[in-house]
Amino acid sequence: MSRYAELAVTSNFSFLRGASHPQDYVLKALKLGYPGIGIADRNTLAGVVRAYSAFKEAQSFYTKKHGPGAVLPFKLVVGARLVFSDGTPDILAYPENRTGWARLCRLLSLGKLRAEKAGCILTLADLLNHLDGLLLIVMPGHRHEGIGPVLQCLTHASPGAVWLAAAMYHRGDDRRRLAGLQALANETGAPLLAVNDVLYHDPAQRDLQDVVSCIRDGITLETAGRRLQVNAERHLKTPAEMVRLFRDAPAAITEAGHFLDRIDFSLGEITYEYPEEPVPPGKGPQEWLEELTWRRAEWRYPAGIPEKVTRILQDELALIAKLEYARYFLTIHDIVRYAEDQGILCQGRGSAANSAVCYALGITAVDPSEHDLLFARFISEERKEPPDIDVDFEHERREEVIQYIYTRYGRERAGIAATVISYRARSAIRDVGKVFGLTEDITARLAGTVWGSWGASGSDLKVRQAGIDPDNPVIRQAVAMAERLMGFPRHLSQHVGGFVLTRTRLDEIVPIGNAAMDNRTFIEWDKDDIDELGLMKVDVLALGMLTCIRKCLDLLRDHHDIDHELASIPHDDSGTYAMLQKGDSIGVFQVESRAQINMLPRLKPREFYDLVIQVAIVRPGPIQGNMVHPYLRRRSGEEEETYPAPSPPHDPNELHTVLHRTLGVPLFQEQAMKIAMVAAEFTPDEANGLRRAMATFRHLGTIHAFEGKMIEGMVRRGYEREFAERCFNQIKGFGEYGFPESHAASFAKLVYISAWIKCYYPAAFACGLLNAQPMGFYAPAQIVRDAREHGVEVRPVDINTSQWDNILETASDSPPALRLGFRQIDGFKTSWAEDIERLRTQAYDSIETLWRRAGLPQRALKLLADADGFRSVGLDRRAALWAIRRLPDDNPLPLFAAAEAEELGHEPAASLPEMPLSEHVVADYQTIRLSLKAHPVSFLRDKFTKERITACADLANLRDGSRVLVAGVVLIRQRPGKGNAIFITLEDETGIANALIWSRHFERYRRPIMSAKLALITGTVQKSAEGVVHLMANAVYDRTYELDTLSERGATTPNPQSPSHPRNVRVIPGSRDFH
Amino acid sequence: MTPSPSLARNEPPRVFVEKVKGALRIAAIDRQAHNLGLHPGLALTDARARVPNIAAEDMDPAADNAFIDRMADFCDRYTPFIANDHPHGLILDITGCAHLFNGEENLRQDLLTRLKKGGAEAHASIAGTPDTARALARFGGRAIALSDEETMAVTSLPAMAIGTSPETITALARAGLKTIGDVTRQPRQPLAARFGEAFIVQLSRTLGEKDARINARRPVPPYMAEQRFAEPIAHEDDMLATLNALCLQIARLLETRGEGGRRFEATFFRTDGRISRIDVETGRPQREPGVIMRLFRERLAALADPLDSGFGFDLIRLAVIDGDSFIPVQTGLDSTDNDEEEVAALTDRLSTRFGTTAVKRFVAVDTHIPEGAAYAGAALRVKDAAAWEMPVGETVPARPIHLFDPPQPIEALAEVPDGPPLKFRWRRMVHDIARAEGPERIAAEWWRHDGLTRDYYRVEDSAGHRYWVFREGLYGTEAVRPHWFLHGVFA
Repeated sequence: MSRYAELAVTSNFSFLRGASHPQDYVLKALKLGYPGIGIADRNTLAGVVRAYSAFKEAQSFYTKKHGPGAVLPFKLVVGARLVFSDGTPDILAYPENRTGWARLCRLLSLGKLRAEKAGCILTLADLLNHLDGLLLIVMPGHRHEGIGPVLQCLTHASPGAVWLAAAMYHRGDDRRRLAGLQALANETGAPLLAVNDVLYHDPAQRDLQDVVSCIRDGITLETAGRRLQVNAERHLKTPAEMVRLFRDAPAAITEAGHFLDRIDFSLGEITYEYPEEPVPPGKGPQEWLEELTWRRAEWRYPAGIPEKVTRILQDELALIAKLEYARYFLTIHDIVRYAEDQGILCQGRGSAANSAVCYALGITAVDPSEHDLLFARFISEERKEPPDIDVDFEHERREEVIQYIYTRYGRERAGIAATVISYRARSAIRDVGKVFGLTEDITARLAGTVWGSWGASGSDLKVRQAGIDPDNPVIRQAVAMAERLMGFPRHLSQHVGGFVLTRTRLDEIVPIGNAAMDNRTFIEWDKDDIDELGLMKVDVLALGMLTCIRKCLDLLRDHHDIDHELASIPHDDSGTYAMLQKGDSIGVFQVESRAQINMLPRLKPREFYDLVIQVAIVRPGPIQGNMVHPYLRRRSGEEEETYPAPSPPHDPNELHTVLHRTLGVPLFQEQAMKIAMVAAEFTPDEANGLRRAMATFRHLGTIHAFEGKMIEGMVRRGYEREFAERCFNQIKGFGEYGFPESHAASFAKLVYISAWIKCYYPAAFACGLLNAQPMGFYAPAQIVRDAREHGVEVRPVDINTSQWDNILETASDSPPALRLGFRQIDGFKTSWAEDIERLRTQAYDSIETLWRRAGLPQRALKLLADADGFRSVGLDRRAALWAIRRLPDDNPLPLFAAAEAEELGHEPAASLPEMPLSEHVVADYQTIRLSLKAHPVSFLRDKFTKERITACADLANLRDGSRVLVAGVVLIRQRPGKGNAIFITLEDETGIANALIWSRHFERYRRPIMSAKLALITGTVQKSAEGVVHLMANAVYDRTYELDTLSERGATTPNPQSPSHPRNVRVIPGSRDFH
Repeated sequence: MTPSPSLARNEPPRVFVEKVKGALRIAAIDRQAHNLGLHPGLALTDARARVPNIAAEDMDPAADNAFIDRMADFCDRYTPFIANDHPHGLILDITGCAHLFNGEENLRQDLLTRLKKGGAEAHASIAGTPDTARALARFGGRAIALSDEETMAVTSLPAMAIGTSPETITALARAGLKTIGDVTRQPRQPLAARFGEAFIVQLSRTLGEKDARINARRPVPPYMAEQRFAEPIAHEDDMLATLNALCLQIARLLETRGEGGRRFEATFFRTDGRISRIDVETGRPQREPGVIMRLFRERLAALADPLDSGFGFDLIRLAVIDGDSFIPVQTGLDSTDNDEEEVAALTDRLSTRFGTTAVKRFVAVDTHIPEGAAYAGAALRVKDAAAWEMPVGETVPARPIHLFDPPQPIEALAEVPDGPPLKFRWRRMVHDIARAEGPERIAAEWWRHDGLTRDYYRVEDSAGHRYWVFREGLYGTEAVRPHWFLHGVFA
């Protein structure tokens, strides 16, 4: 039996060239009885870890079957197919040892850093500089031009490490070519090595390979012609078939086995060490960590470290010592310290919040003296995974932290992890549709039928509903192909903030390349790859609310003489909880959405842990698991707190410890996992596997296996099937958005802090929130409206008082007022605002003064006038605009010339009509997206009253079941979850009304629902026991035309401008839609 | 003008879309879509969210222009002075033409009726200057404005009717100047200071204070003669007789000026609005009616698409397009320069005479499938086909010159799985193979239809004849007993 191994393998990490996953190759090679396989993608090592995982799985399966110590007779070798930019033929480079791996990584980094992005620019000379430890296979291509000199050069530079590949492409002249190559091999001394230059593991993948080739070249199948492969031969063939094909050169087959034997490198050899920068000289990392922890803990607990905390800290430090994670903690601490020094707010989230050491070091904000932490969830001895700490920073200043990390560790030692962007249903059908020549409209409609559940039963129905015939053969082919394409990697992108830091050179572990963003470099491996190889990652994330809170805290310092930081805000403040209980939470972190606002009065948070639950409960997990209502009933005492129990002989109280904090109802991800372990007897490994299977969509098949195992396991042990199914559904829900308790606790901290600021300093809160935009759920108009409802005086933009940011104006005898800043004006530039502020040594007394002194361009002046910012010089927007139009155009006058320029001559007075208030309001919305003058609906009130339309605010005074008409501007349209109901939020000058329309009415009122900016809704009032008022709609009418009457003809028709974030759409009024 | 295809009751609302900054947006809509509240500028996805069943087509500006051109041709019957007025508008200079139609109102009515019959819905206004008429027609003003009442006629129109930039329109709106009347009530000097002199000029043109010439879309022929019919004529004899009469008229005109024509154009206006133009060219200036008529007769007889008189012609016009302005084309010293052109001209002539489908030309098709690699298309249609790719670096011919269509079945004896035939029998003759090379494996184009993979071999029999044979179907995977075919012979 010959030992043939395929070494020229192109996987789908050679983006849009290979048509099989790396793991598919490994499995097929095993099945064909290969002694090994080599994966070599185009100038990248991005896919090799996937192959390695598959290989390890196969190895462990083999061990299980054949007993411990049994070694799978298979060798995975990894390398890259070097594709050169100087015309050199492709060369497969395989590292022979660890040195070779380092060389290859350095070589690829060199090429990648040269390229702008996603490219790799390499020449033969570069390879000649990195030959150490590399074995090379030269790929001759279809014609053999230029092969001779390259072979001569390489065999001379690296004798004994160069091979010449030969492939049988079935092009008619195979044997002639083979003879030619044999001659070339004899001449140069590079042995001939048989390959099949494969593009897919199985011949059935040929069609998919054609499709990805078309996607790559941007062509259709109809026109692709000979750019596609001529046949389906480029798959993994049986060794016997390879021997038959190479019967003229049997040595080439044997040589493949020799090549495999030469390689003595496995990805498992990549060892990893944490950076040691943060450890001062003369100290050991553990020693230094302990010293720091105790020192900082004393500062955290000025009244003395509680005994409970001391004990936890000791335990944690002991485990950290044992697992040698000290340097990791010190590295994170170093980053957090930098942020603190720069005044950048930050807070750890995720499982790190389970660590008292992290709390002591200031990485997280969840106090172990107040909460029961589950350290094992963060680090455990059994799970051999490195700890994972995610830290949120202010979103406006995170880049400073990122650049600090690059500076401190160097580009060759710090890199952002990659994210493999894979085909999902929408992107797949979009690209495949083009290849099949479908019009963009058809593919968009097909993509529109997908709501994350492509391939589920009834997809035909959905296609038909989109007005497409699913029996059309082209559509059928395209859809089938798109389904197969799903999960294929499309390209690499940088992770949102996951950094990998190393003690030695990172670019000798993995290639580093340029990211699309300036000043960012990132590695080729993603989070899963990093986990697989045990590299450390720290997530440097951005959070808008931290920016907002920092700005608020600055305002409190400047205007209220109060100096606070995250940890010092008074705990357990009853006023804050009272406010939240009313559902008064616009702008508050995490609990400001419609669903959360409705939940607040029902859950009635009284203490911090309630907020933790509040954050976690309105999530797909608990909702899909039907856990929300049982919890609420138990909380209000309507239902008894019981615990599902197994039948004897199992411990009837086994779930009590897991669930007692949430009244017997599982709400958090770790509770669901714990149930799998306790009630269905999953091993920790299995539970973890389950979590991962849920988190990624790659293992769709394995989910069903877990489902059976968990449900049957629980039923077997005496649990009710219905409960078991709910638990599993909940885990499925978590899959889409896992929400562990520690994460909720970190977020709850920010919920509390933002609520406290809103409660006591509403002006500062609104100001900070506006200055941190874009963030959160609401548009500036709603934030301002909410502030005014809380008694804050809001003042308009004005050239004589406004700054870029929104500011507080303090007077001695009244609470501070909020002055809107220039940043609220769409399209206004920071530099203009700076000029206006800097040169405002004395008040501007006219447009001309502003124009001359600040040298603003016409555009800036027009924007100011449009925003009605000249009131302090006695001009309304119409007068101001008329005056500005007269100023000469922007050929910037030299300073002196401007100063000396003659006054503009006298001109006959214009007799412009007065601008009505309603039109001012419309213009306000168009320029700053809010109006302080009036609400648009107020101008229609008389008319509405005659039509017996109820004002939004009056709904609360009506009896449950009353039939009403309500009209208002549409703020938000939302069709959550399964789409059984559509939520519409209306606003008029008195307040907000929340309407709900069932989907069975939807088709009838689709047009008004989807297009109305001003809607009239008829329905009945529904009041809950907690006082939550809903309007159950039975009809919706479009009254948008009424808005047109508020201003002149043409002024309100929406501009067909470029689409942007829904919040930024300049339509009166903008609504936010969530489908 | 908007083309309005007849709407069946159940037809979905139709919109035309174009790509604007990466998103499909509505560019034009039909009435049904308009009534449903859709409007140009709306993103198609938003439109579908409101009205799921709309039928969307890509915008085809070329077709739009062609339609407008057709309409312009059609309007030729009223006046040769016609200018395009984008978008979707035409300006006709009917100075001195109205009396032929019994006055302006009758002309206008006639135009609208005929356009409607031709499938176009139009608005038309008549005024003393093109800009006034344009404003009236586009913004719903009165049908006819007499020369002294133009200012009054446009006063109530929206300011947008001035025909200025959207930016200026917004500025006027912000200033509260909604109508042309509002604008004219303002003193002109401040307006000029703000919106520029060009705006003032445009304003006075709209008001009819200043006239402007239109840029006619076709040069107006130097000589022209026409004949209108109260009762449309349909017989060819009548047409020829009319044409002959017109030839005589033109000849007299040319004679008085002492000139000759090189290109003559006859235009036939059908009652339903369709227009056919036929032109003849002469080598040297001509004005002899007999000669011109002979040329026309020949042309008419050779038409691939004979002149269809439908319900008859109500106007026939003869014009001299080129008089003496003919500039001879200089040919290069190397006479091969014009080969392409000459071939094209020959193709034209042959196609004109024998019909477009009768003259064919081979085109290279990019495909692996041998018999699909060439396509014989109508020569007129495939003028710009891609050139044949020359094989590079091949030492032996990969494909035979002659291919059998369909491939000839043969019986062959070959080694499994993919050996070349050792011998084969074709037309009862047995060929022993002396030399062979292959296989060249060509798989079917799976996206068109399922098919078997072919293994091609170049073979030479003991007599030295070379053949191209293939086996259809792979042993084991595709076929149990694959069939063999002879696909071609090498020269």
